[in-house]
Amino acid sequence: MVTDNQGSFLNRISIRRNQVVSMEGNHDQELEDLEHFQKHVADRFLDLLTPPEDYPSDPFLSIAWIRKLLDTFLCCEAEFKAVVLMGRDPTQISKPPLDRLVPEFLDRVVKALDICNAVSSGVESVRHFQKLAEVAVLALEQRPIGDGQVRRAKKALNSLVTAMAIEDKEGQTTKATERTWSFGRRTGVSAPNKDRAAGQFRALSWGMSKGWSAAKQIQAMSTNLVAPKGNETTTLAQPVYIMSTIILYVMWILVTAVPCQERTGLMTHFPVQRNLVWAQPLIGLQDKIAEEWKKKEKKCSAGLLEEMQKMEKLGQSLIEFADSFQFPAEPERLEEVAGQVAELAETCRRMEEGLVPLQLQIRELFHRAVRSRTEVLEVLDQGGKASPPMI
Amino acid sequence: MEKDEATKQGDTPKALGTPKTPPPEESPGNVNNPIENQKEDSEEKEKGQDISGTEEEDSCPVEPVEIPEDPHPSLDKLCEDIERCISSLPRPSEKDEKEAENNGAKDDKDDEKAVDVKDDMGETNIETPREEKDDENKEEGIEDDEKDLVPDELLKLVDKFLNWVDGICGEGRGRWGKVPEDDTAFLDAVDLMAKMRESLLSVSCMGLKFEERHGGLINRLSSIQHRATAYLEEEFRILLEESKTCTQPLDHHHTNTSGGGDHHNNSSKDNSTNKGKNDPESLPESESGGENQGLFEFPGYSQEVVSNLNKIAKQMISGGYQFECCEVYLISRRHAFDENLHKLGLEKHSIDDIQKMHWEAVEREIVAWVKAFKQCAGVYFSGERKLAEWVFSDHPSMSACLYSNLSRGVVKQLLNFAEAIAMSKRSAEKLFKTLDMYEALKEVVPKMDELFPEECVDELKTETTTVRGRLGEAAICIFCDLENSIKAETGRNPVPGGAVHPLTRYTMNYLRYACEYKDTLELVFKEHSKIERADSTSRAPNRDEYDASDTSLGGGNGSDESPFSVQLMRVMDLLDSNLEAKSKLYKDVALSSIFMMNNGRYILQKIKGSPEINACMGDTWCRRRSSELRQYHKNYQRETWSRLLSILTHEGLSSHGKVMKPVLKERFKSFNAMFDEIHKTQSTWVVSDEQLQSELRVSISAVVIPAYRSFLGRFAQVFDAGRQTEKYVKFQPEDIETYIDELFDGNPNSSIFKKKP
Repeated sequence: MVTDNQGSFLNRISIRRNQVVSMEGNHDQELEDLEHFQKHVADRFLDLLTPPEDYPSDPFLSIAWIRKLLDTFLCCEAEFKAVVLMGRDPTQISKPPLDRLVPEFLDRVVKALDICNAVSSGVESVRHFQKLAEVAVLALEQRPIGDGQVRRAKKALNSLVTAMAIEDKEGQTTKATERTWSFGRRTGVSAPNKDRAAGQFRALSWGMSKGWSAAKQIQAMSTNLVAPKGNETTTLAQPVYIMSTIILYVMWILVTAVPCQERTGLMTHFPVQRNLVWAQPLIGLQDKIAEEWKKKEKKCSAGLLEEMQKMEKLGQSLIEFADSFQFPAEPERLEEVAGQVAELAETCRRMEEGLVPLQLQIRELFHRAVRSRTEVLEVLDQGGKASPPMI
Repeated sequence: MEKDEATKQGDTPKALGTPKTPPPEESPGNVNNPIENQKEDSEEKEKGQDISGTEEEDSCPVEPVEIPEDPHPSLDKLCEDIERCISSLPRPSEKDEKEAENNGAKDDKDDEKAVDVKDDMGETNIETPREEKDDENKEEGIEDDEKDLVPDELLKLVDKFLNWVDGICGEGRGRWGKVPEDDTAFLDAVDLMAKMRESLLSVSCMGLKFEERHGGLINRLSSIQHRATAYLEEEFRILLEESKTCTQPLDHHHTNTSGGGDHHNNSSKDNSTNKGKNDPESLPESESGGENQGLFEFPGYSQEVVSNLNKIAKQMISGGYQFECCEVYLISRRHAFDENLHKLGLEKHSIDDIQKMHWEAVEREIVAWVKAFKQCAGVYFSGERKLAEWVFSDHPSMSACLYSNLSRGVVKQLLNFAEAIAMSKRSAEKLFKTLDMYEALKEVVPKMDELFPEECVDELKTETTTVRGRLGEAAICIFCDLENSIKAETGRNPVPGGAVHPLTRYTMNYLRYACEYKDTLELVFKEHSKIERADSTSRAPNRDEYDASDTSLGGGNGSDESPFSVQLMRVMDLLDSNLEAKSKLYKDVALSSIFMMNNGRYILQKIKGSPEINACMGDTWCRRRSSELRQYHKNYQRETWSRLLSILTHEGLSSHGKVMKPVLKERFKSFNAMFDEIHKTQSTWVVSDEQLQSELRVSISAVVIPAYRSFLGRFAQVFDAGRQTEKYVKFQPEDIETYIDELFDGNPNSSIFKKKP
């Protein structure tokens, strides 16, 4: 039910529960906790939206920024668990409307797990983009630069740009079913040359099951997400709603950032009330990213990840260079290109540094979500038993 | 590439060794016109022999290198000439003063270079350094500068050579392996190009002038070098993706590798001692030699293909194309692996989907999963690992990286499914499939150290262990849920006839099945239940009462019993108390005893029928159980038959040695009525266990019949023969026996007297 390292956590809960239950007026304490939670959520996301000025910040939607986003998520999640599970009478959670809200929340968590997997596979694709970019860097850093080097770079960059486009379109067309790593298609092998060219890109990552769609998954997560009203705002319905919203937003941001299976029709707006204090930074993020996303959809790039966008731009520009290249190269042009190559190399370096930790973090988020789900289920179970419906 | 085909001068494609016209754009204008050198190459069809033939002719006589105007340029010859030329490239000692003036500063560098060249070229440069007849020669493009460092001849040779390579590249794909000699020649050529570039670049260091003058050549070289490597890359991919033809292991390869078996055996022996070092060709064979027949079933490449892959990889890597090589390899293998999993019936499902699927469908997926997982652990992973090691035999770190990347992806995908199962809603029927998965994971963990390279083994182990833990916890939950099912069974209608209760059947069959997984369950409980108990407050209130009964049980069974046995006991006790409560539902105490006997006997039979449960429960428990059953038997006997037997006492019938007839009449009448009543009721009762049924009947007969017989023998003659006897003596002892044998059949019998006219 609970993995090793969680035993202590639950022990703590039960200890605290006993203490709290014995105290009168723990409702005030609960209200206070809830308020703190909302404030912390607001502060944390505000930091992401508008980083403190005196603090060197990472570019918006860069790998480092995404990692901060995930950290923020993990913090909120831990606090959420403390608010909802610790010191609570388990029967509270099984009473209406929570008996409906909590299972809905858990369902969102399950969907988030799939998104984690899809995103993880998207990051894997980005790793391949990085490899291709590295080939281009390697080739273009050679001197003297000749047709061979330029062609090698161009080949890699073309692969890169095509792969990005395919990763993005994946699932959109009928062909895309062939493209994804889903089992069984593989018509490309014996097909004529054209398909083969695309064949190289088919398989940058393992991918999800056939027909799985990130856009639909996000959509499904957003259904029934309604802010609690009236009395409910002071009950557990509130943190459950907040956490649901956070999961939804974070998953959505991940989906926009890295290649992800089937994003056609991805929502860009969620019906979250703007007057909620904690929600404002989230909405700010949403507006900013939605705008980027709309631009992106026109361009058909693989995602909003800052490094990837940069890579795409540099890639395009270097392809242009390659297309017009004639031996011997003009020194001025070479210098200009050298600058771009250095920039591309720097982008690769940032990917090299950031992608693996990002991958691990996504995995951590996954495990954390699984564990929390189990814990909440347990309490739910317990609550169900404690109130005796059985004769 | 299509363009290239178009430019072929009507020649039908030949073997690799024959050059083709290069695409126009590939030959920069300032170098020799390539077309000239190859025209009538079409003749050499069996070039293997042809080439060697021409080579002999051509190479011997040429002392000072002339530009061979050989219409059939052979690659070997070309290479040789080029190498010779390169080796004789400017060295300080040979340079005339003018050059020295020009490049004076570079002299020492030049020396180094000369050494380099020597190394590169091996024996070839021992030949007398040639004073190049070079320069001023005709031919287009080249500046007529006498101080040219590169002999014109070399330029022409190089050009010819490049045309040749270019021609090969243009010939289309998928030719690799068809003519091994050609492949070798091509690889040599690529290698030579790399050396040439190196040499030229180092020469070019000597002065800008050189680069200005021969930049075009260097450029062309780089271009064709790239083209050749791209060609290799494509061939590499095609080999990887399209040559998995050999499905039948070993034999096929042995026969296929041509050459005497003896030779191969020898070489394989040699290779097994220092594998990976040299001659990759025989590597797979040495690995597979004899003992491991299944080795080649996966990944299914023939030895030649593996050796070709190895050669190409080696060339690509040494040419600085390791990125490309690795990418192609990784993507192809990942795809192939995915396809294999699919062939094993493994479909991808999202976690969300699995939560929503019908259990029957999930069950099928689990069966496929277990099979695929075992296959991966047993065959696929080691196959992939060996393949990577063979193909990248000179680059162990690269092969480890590729293999771990691949296997990590597969393992994670497989584990994800297990995760989804562990997460799914718990219910009793899922226990066994969950345990199947648990077992598969359990088996693989200790093998992981040898399956996976260092860089990913810890990560994969952790992931596997985590998922295994979750499956274990799920299994415990499911198993413990049996308690809840038993508790929830609170029906108030007694089973007719005191028969075995469905709950007993269900529970015992479940337990018996579960005990087929006894070892696994023991492990699961041992490894994953402590935490569950420590933190699970969910069961706490109920648990206390069981704990009390636990200790009492524990006394009988020894102190160090497994948590699983304890849980099993708990379930049994719970079942017992449930049954006991149900037995109270019967108004007839005798029937209640029969009910307990039936169920008790059923439980005991099930336990005895399964060595696994038997071992868990222990003999003590069974003995105690049996004695309990005997107690119920006694209770029943007493309840039903002692009253009847009391009728048959001889006491109270005689007064002063004389039988009191009216009392006797009453006795017979009540006996008859009572026996009839018992028979009527108890023949509707059910004892389905034959042995128990016959035990009961025998024991009843054993007390009733002798008593009745003696009663009859003593008092029957009191009645007048005929009518009176007929009226009071309704049964002969044999009849009693017959009627007793009708008991517990579950047949509604009417009164004996009605049916007996």
